Amino acid sequence: MDFPLPFSPPLPRSILLAGLGFLSLVCGPSGSRIAAAEVAPPLIKEASQGQPCAVAARPVDPFEEVWLQVGARSCLKCHKPGGDAEDSKFVLRDPAKDSSPHQDESRQHNQTAFQKMAGVREKEGFLMLVKAAGGLDHGGEDVLKPGSPGFRTLEQFVQQVASGTLPATTPGPAMAIEPQGDFFEGVAMMEDGNLLRRLTLSLAGRLPTRDEESQIGQGGLKALAPVLETVMKEEAFYDRLAEAFNDIFLTRGYGEGAESALSYEHFSTTRHWTQKHDLSSITDEKARQKARYKLADDYREALLREPMELVKHIVRENRPFTELVTADYIMISPYTARGYGLFEELKGRFKNTEDPFEYVPVRLPSLKNRTGRDHQESPTGFYPHAGMMSLFQYLRRYPTTETNRNCLRARMYYQHFLGVDVMELAARVKDAAAVTAKFEVPVMQASECVVCHRTLDPVAGVFQDYYSLEGVFGPRKEGWFKDVFGPGFEGEDLPADQRWRALQWLGEHTARDPRFASTMVEHGFYVLTGRKTLLPPKDPAEPHYRAKLHAQQAQHREVARIAAAFVQSGYNFKAILQGWAVSPFYRADGLAAQDLATNPERAEELGDVGLVRLLTPEQLERKVTAIFGRGWGRLQDPQFALLYGGIDSKEVTERATDPSGAMGAIQRAMANDVACRNVPKDFSRPPAERRLFPKIDPDVAPGSSPEADLRIREAIAHLHHLILGRNDAPDSPEVGRIYDLFAGVISDAQERQGFEPLDIYACRVEGEGRIKDPRYIMRAWRAVVTCLLRERDFLYE
Amino acid sequence: MRRDFLKLCGLAGLGVAAPVAIPGLGFAAEEARSASANPDAFEGPYYVVFNASGGWDTTYLMDPKGTDGINRLYGNGDIQTRGQLKFAPNAAHMEAGAGMSNEDFFAEFGSELLVVNGLDYSVNNHSPCARYMATGHLDSLAYPTFAALVAACRGPQCPLAYLTFGNYSNTGNLVPMSRIPYLPSLQRVANADSVEGQQRSPYHDDFVLDRIERTLKAQTDARLSRQVLPRVERAESMLYAAQINSKALQRVTPYIPAEIPKARLAQQVEIALASFKAGVCVSANLTIGQFDSHANNDKDQMKLIPEFLAGIAHLMRRAEALKIRDRLVVVIQSEMGRTPQYNKGNGKDHWSIGSVMFMGKGIQGNRVIGATDEKQFCVPVDPATLATNAEKGVRLRPEHIHGALRELAGITDHRLSAQFPYTVPATERLQGLWG
Repeated sequence: MDFPLPFSPPLPRSILLAGLGFLSLVCGPSGSRIAAAEVAPPLIKEASQGQPCAVAARPVDPFEEVWLQVGARSCLKCHKPGGDAEDSKFVLRDPAKDSSPHQDESRQHNQTAFQKMAGVREKEGFLMLVKAAGGLDHGGEDVLKPGSPGFRTLEQFVQQVASGTLPATTPGPAMAIEPQGDFFEGVAMMEDGNLLRRLTLSLAGRLPTRDEESQIGQGGLKALAPVLETVMKEEAFYDRLAEAFNDIFLTRGYGEGAESALSYEHFSTTRHWTQKHDLSSITDEKARQKARYKLADDYREALLREPMELVKHIVRENRPFTELVTADYIMISPYTARGYGLFEELKGRFKNTEDPFEYVPVRLPSLKNRTGRDHQESPTGFYPHAGMMSLFQYLRRYPTTETNRNCLRARMYYQHFLGVDVMELAARVKDAAAVTAKFEVPVMQASECVVCHRTLDPVAGVFQDYYSLEGVFGPRKEGWFKDVFGPGFEGEDLPADQRWRALQWLGEHTARDPRFASTMVEHGFYVLTGRKTLLPPKDPAEPHYRAKLHAQQAQHREVARIAAAFVQSGYNFKAILQGWAVSPFYRADGLAAQDLATNPERAEELGDVGLVRLLTPEQLERKVTAIFGRGWGRLQDPQFALLYGGIDSKEVTERATDPSGAMGAIQRAMANDVACRNVPKDFSRPPAERRLFPKIDPDVAPGSSPEADLRIREAIAHLHHLILGRNDAPDSPEVGRIYDLFAGVISDAQERQGFEPLDIYACRVEGEGRIKDPRYIMRAWRAVVTCLLRERDFLYE
Repeated sequence: MRRDFLKLCGLAGLGVAAPVAIPGLGFAAEEARSASANPDAFEGPYYVVFNASGGWDTTYLMDPKGTDGINRLYGNGDIQTRGQLKFAPNAAHMEAGAGMSNEDFFAEFGSELLVVNGLDYSVNNHSPCARYMATGHLDSLAYPTFAALVAACRGPQCPLAYLTFGNYSNTGNLVPMSRIPYLPSLQRVANADSVEGQQRSPYHDDFVLDRIERTLKAQTDARLSRQVLPRVERAESMLYAAQINSKALQRVTPYIPAEIPKARLAQQVEIALASFKAGVCVSANLTIGQFDSHANNDKDQMKLIPEFLAGIAHLMRRAEALKIRDRLVVVIQSEMGRTPQYNKGNGKDHWSIGSVMFMGKGIQGNRVIGATDEKQFCVPVDPATLATNAEKGVRLRPEHIHGALRELAGITDHRLSAQFPYTVPATERLQGLWG
């Protein structure tokens, strides 16, 4: 459990946005700049392909510096409305909750407050410095150690204010474009056609159609929006969405069997319906048993899928994504409806009552306890759904205990919906054990603990009626704990008349919170890139601090830009994906002209730029299927997928981002096997039906004539395009090296006396014998495809 | 500007083993390869970090109290000793077959054990504590675990340089982490160039494979000779190293035991040992969880501590059988301790003071450094003498331990270590911790 907690709450990423330099995305014809307000809605604007795009990153001014290092990290925890120091003379505004354009108002307020307070001098010294070091009965005690980087920054700021040497800053207008420091200067963007391929593979697991290629070819990025609209209607897109959001919420990982989502207290007679389901029509006992196993497996899978079906439904129906926390329904299939005991009343709503995975939105009736007592109170008669938060699977995935007191749920709530990771960076405490022992109720009395528990406990209290140890509905018998801060949200108490619908109340507050939008944009970034957005560097003394700060600021300005468009779209999640799709952060593909080896600061700035994502096991299978027409299959085995960096949503919850030796071995095995299965098979088809070799036959030998060599090179260029997504010319060095491989293999073979004239048995076409390969050409083509399948352009996005 | 790829791999912290003969393909990270019959095999020391995930009760192991209601299962007079080491008795409280008692563990390994008590984690939440204990740095999410760092410094060419089975495992982007969840998994990837892993059924003739490897190297070199984004450069290097190094996995097969042990920690140990013995692994991060005994502390700890110790004993005994015991360095840790008092549920909550134990190559055993007082608070230590000094000593924290671990591993001045410095003043560096 997390009690008591002498830690400091880390910052939501968006807090750090405000008070900093302001948005100035530049994305247009080379050298031009377009202010964000012009770019935002619609999200997709023209940008020249293959040309550098630029986002201006302003130099950090003194207030930004002190805000980042001190204000946001230390002062804001207590010196804010609802905070421990709300009655002091130094009250700041939380930029993350500022809905003014680009958080101008909070920045202005905080800058003024800082400057005013910095000028106050007592006999002990400058008030701000003395208090920060724990003097003058500072309630937060010593938040900064004299001599620490943060203290030095504060000291410098105070001196500049006192001496009147604080440089003039430019707090507004927010859209100011800096003449220097263009973040993407010298970075080449991906060609539009390749961007299209990247997006269709990523979002729909397929290659682009010729029609789509044509649209992009003619219309450039402008044409991307309608193409994406179409892609985002495909079922494969929704499967991808479910996969990515499960990475975030991990709901498939709840314990003790899928049926455990339905509690014994409320679904005791229905949750195991598969055990008694009438299968008497199957007369053979073994077949009947097998059918029952399948029934149970499908039912469990249907239950596991329910949370992600909610995500899919919201996006598919273009509903506001705020329904993630406010939806007053859940998604139910014919199979799970039986588990809830609602099948009879719902069966008319399904197209096929025997389809385990056809889902419809449903409001559950309020829960009735099997004992006849302790029924769930509900004036409406319905279960008070609050999107993801009230789903049984979500509650089971993040259960509570008597000592945890819903703190885990509160922590996950902040992480999932407001982008705050309370465990991200814990402040060091001089003697945490002593603090724990000193106070009777440390979480309410010790400043080290209060600073976070004042935020965490109220949300934990909002979940108080979901206290059954099974993780679902059931209030604590003794009533909610008195030695914690009471239920509520960020300074607002939960009204008594809202108790029965507390999670709905929380959901409504969450949807209004500006942090929700930016957090969803960050989730969108994860969906597309497989990684989280950058955190600001903490220690100014660390190497490349300024470069890291610039990189983080530039990225988070982009988050703010897309968040604004997301809000303007009515919280349509597709707007987020469209926003990232044309963002230079997603399109950056290379360096136009700069030598990073001699500029380590710039190298650090660009350290996270570019997609370069190792495909997950699921993505790799889909890519093989998209290119070859059938998957490899082995990565569908959960154990093999784990070995290839996958997750199980329980113990292993983060995907591997770099290939280990074991993963390298799997790549080799995949390349060997996929080439073996597909090269001879492709050649066995009529040329018009071939994917890999539509314009060449396996009797064309290298060196036999210039025409033959050209055909071979063209065939390789086709493979480069198909497998690697590269548009290499037949006479390019890249194609040349693969030609050398092809020709070299044949030459080597022919130098060996009596090589085997048949290809290996494993690579035969199904139903046929070993393939005759007297000149070793078939095997040379296998070598070529094997080689290409091991390249980064295939194995990475 | 054309850059040599292998040099680049070295700069990136990557090494490349070269199990196939490729003309022109050199060797990187040569410092990691000792002169041996098999120049690609890493021959140690091998580093094993055991994690009691969730927070162990040190007063039921190496820092016994038995007073003031701290322990219900024994009194102060029941505390056992072995040489200089004190430990809590638990043989009488274990369930049959639960694992290894403290009595047996200290009897067998006490002469090798270095115990550090009174370690101050500074905070008492799982995530930051686990991060702090694993990396020696509380305030950064970027630092690698010690196991990852030493793997990157000592054996970057190893295909499974850094094995991890859970707990905090950050690599600092220095080395890929390898997850091998089950022993049979190792067999499945050992012969990737053969049909169904059968060595006698290769997909390609050897000369074809050589051609493929050569072509991939040429393609990689060509791409990296151009200006590319840092992420691209890193990915190219990582991918190349992963594929070429993976061939060395063939060496693991002979060391995969015929029978898979049932105990969860022993399974992890077998995977690590097979990888060590094959010379394809530098470090392993082993873990079992559920130590977070907020309810029924004594029952849980009596179940888990014996299981944990049995896993450690399994490592040492099997390493002896494999003749690599003298090349092991073992770290035995948890992310926090447990409160001196019981809560209302007979459990114990988080405590920011704990202990860590070590044994193996270069470590003098039968010693205890640091202490907690009778109320389980940290007693500071004089870094120069390692004696407790409540008034002038320093509070031992993970960065002190990690600094010393880097010294033990000889990587303090390694360029990769320099990327992740500790700000421990020279006067606070522990002198002679390892004996």
